[in-house]
Amino acid sequence: MTQSLHRAAAGGLFMRHIRKAFAGVAALDGVDLTVHPGEIHGLIGENGAGKSTLIKILAGVCTPDDGEISVGGRVLASVSPAAVQQEGIRFIHQELHLIPHFTVAESVFIGQERSHRWGGLNRRAMRADSEAFFREVLNIRLDGNRLIRDLSQAELKLVQIARALIDGEARLVVFDEPTAPLEAREAALLFDAIRALKARGIAIIYVSHYLNEITQICDRVTVLRNGRQVATLDEVKAEDVDRLIALMVGRELTTLFAAPAAQADTSVPWLTLENGGGEAFRQLNMQLFPGEIVGIAGLSGSGREQLIDTLYGLYPLRQGTLRIAGKAVKLRSPVQAIARGIALVPRDRRHHGLIQPLSVADNINIASPQSLSRFGWELKEKARKNALALAEKLDIRPRNVRQAVRYLSGGNQQKVILARWLNSHSQLFILDEPTLGVDVGARAEIYHLTRQLADKGRCVLVSSSDASELIGLCDRLLVMRRGEIVADVPTENLTQDGLLALTSGGSEQETPL
Amino acid sequence: MSDMPQPGLRRRLAFPIDKIPLLLFAALLLFFCFQAPWFLSWQNLSVILTQTAPLAILCFGLACVIIGGGDDVVSGGIDLSLPATSVLAVAVVSIGVQLDVSIFLLALLAVAAALLAGLLNALMVVRVGLPPLLATLASSVAIVGLTNYLARQRRISIDAPWLVAFRDGDLLGIPWAVWFMLAVFVLYQFLVHHSRWGQHLQASGGSREAAELAGLPFKSLMLHSYLLAGFAAALAALTLLSRGSGSSPGAEEPLLLEMVLATFIGTAFSRRRVVTIWGALLGALLVNALSNGLALMRVDIFWVGTVKGALILLVLSAAAVQRRGQL
Repeated sequence: MTQSLHRAAAGGLFMRHIRKAFAGVAALDGVDLTVHPGEIHGLIGENGAGKSTLIKILAGVCTPDDGEISVGGRVLASVSPAAVQQEGIRFIHQELHLIPHFTVAESVFIGQERSHRWGGLNRRAMRADSEAFFREVLNIRLDGNRLIRDLSQAELKLVQIARALIDGEARLVVFDEPTAPLEAREAALLFDAIRALKARGIAIIYVSHYLNEITQICDRVTVLRNGRQVATLDEVKAEDVDRLIALMVGRELTTLFAAPAAQADTSVPWLTLENGGGEAFRQLNMQLFPGEIVGIAGLSGSGREQLIDTLYGLYPLRQGTLRIAGKAVKLRSPVQAIARGIALVPRDRRHHGLIQPLSVADNINIASPQSLSRFGWELKEKARKNALALAEKLDIRPRNVRQAVRYLSGGNQQKVILARWLNSHSQLFILDEPTLGVDVGARAEIYHLTRQLADKGRCVLVSSSDASELIGLCDRLLVMRRGEIVADVPTENLTQDGLLALTSGGSEQETPL
Repeated sequence: MSDMPQPGLRRRLAFPIDKIPLLLFAALLLFFCFQAPWFLSWQNLSVILTQTAPLAILCFGLACVIIGGGDDVVSGGIDLSLPATSVLAVAVVSIGVQLDVSIFLLALLAVAAALLAGLLNALMVVRVGLPPLLATLASSVAIVGLTNYLARQRRISIDAPWLVAFRDGDLLGIPWAVWFMLAVFVLYQFLVHHSRWGQHLQASGGSREAAELAGLPFKSLMLHSYLLAGFAAALAALTLLSRGSGSSPGAEEPLLLEMVLATFIGTAFSRRRVVTIWGALLGALLVNALSNGLALMRVDIFWVGTVKGALILLVLSAAAVQRRGQL
């Protein structure tokens, strides 16, 4: 099987003048990408810079408006997932897509099983071949008979790689954020495997937010910003992290944000977490004060999502103490969290935040039905007026509160959720990616509403992957990396470069190995 | 992350939980051996094996559907119409024999009817998108209705020579029905656990996304699994026919419960704790040995139902606790 990897040497990948626009907005504007055999090519950029569009075009999932792709010196006539597979281009997606009760060997050979001549599965050959692949190609020992559910995250990643490469036809492998769920030690294991592929002459595209990984493993780096190719560096060293950040950022903060009415009083915290440990985070200390907007920054896999889910009672707090208004509490469910005065505006509003077939009014009133009913009967007119007043205040369009919420735009749906919580007596508002997929106009209104909440003496916690949003909206930022809070900084004088350096472990000379 | 050992620890704690049903069964069987010495006699074991044949073959069919659709009892694959289909096939053959129709034609008709039922279930689940539990429960009711219409809710006894030979004959001292069960077992074991098709079926039941990503056509895999289940129902009809010497109304009711119970008990026999054909066979044997032992001890027939129901609850709770441990 290993001898058939010779195809790898045949030639590299050339993507030329790739253009793609969505609804008139350019996602990619004439990007060139060249990856030679035996080269690890880093692809970096902020969220929305065009990385994923470029990868999707290469995968044949998305058709470019212009440009051409050639592999091994031949221009691809049509770019479909099947054609790309045929050309030896393989993708290691972030999601593993492995089956828990399958063995390692079965998972590697899924869809391309080995059979005996009489038709039965040749398990022995599959096990031997998969173990040989791990040993000879990825430089690791892995028993082909172990079950997927017993493997560590790093081993799962290696199985995923083996599955993509076992046919020996791979010439180009795209790694999309491969280390996100891994610990530093495990990431080192993965890097060894990737370097082993490089040594075999396979071309590699490596997409990651962790810039210290990029400087460690990549030979060349292409930087995208707003759909444009900002630079391609032919050499990267550990010292280049700050330069990469400067290339990636380059946007100015807009005046989307409202200034606080007064300095928040930071003498008595409303919520305190001491030495908190839970799903994917540990040793966490944080305090939230009334009137303050606090942001949580962190890459995917940093534990940011798990922290806010824990505060909302979705995950148990395994260690440490959570105090609300000075009292130690345990939140076992969202119901208990709401009862303690915590409100969540979830990231996936379509599925978790709103009841799509119900009307705008019903969705607004759902969190505080007590005052709108008498002896259990809902007071329809009072409820409608209440909802209408809020809809006007928040400028929800269209103003018809009897309409089903599913017909509203993303920004207006988000405002419906905010209206719901404005209506309640909640003290802490957790906003998870509050402007994901929301246009700029509605975004400004959401920012102003958020500031109003804080000015009324409520606590606000914003979790976001948008650096400009975090800096502009929040008073103070908690930066998380690999399950720990690595910085607690005021946003005054904080630049996007500075924040990016903090989240990706950039300018601090901390190596993950 | 730092919590890495956590799931492993939970899994170790959960390990004995899924063995509870097995341990319970073992204790019960041991109890029978002491209380009813007749239990372990060759003659009684032969009776248990013969009586297991229809149940075991139905379990093979159900196992195919569960393996292909996933083992979540509510949203995964399940086919509750198999016993009804089998009893329909029995009624068709019995009526036909009474009318002197050729047995080959009848066998063809029975298999066709069972495959049609499987096809209908598959269309409901795959095309229309109904939850398998509801779709097959509804078709079960419809099929029972059809059987009652055809047989007028009467018992139809037949004593065709081929049936008597199958019922009373043996090879090397082992009844024909047992040989038949073993042959069907070998067929289904090969298809599900030793063929590429079976590997693909297991993959689509394990994770639909993973199967799609690997280019496996999970819709047609599911369709095949329902057809294979229908075929099993037709095969089970032969052993049902010989066990009851004809068709009797209401035969599907006890089979339904036992089929689901036995198939899920089978998970306790697999290293991966999933439904397997081999596990289904052992599960069916256990359930029948249990009924047999309770009968030998002259336990009140109504208590037998209670004991079985309690066992179902136990098996399902063990599975649920175990699944929670994995999350």
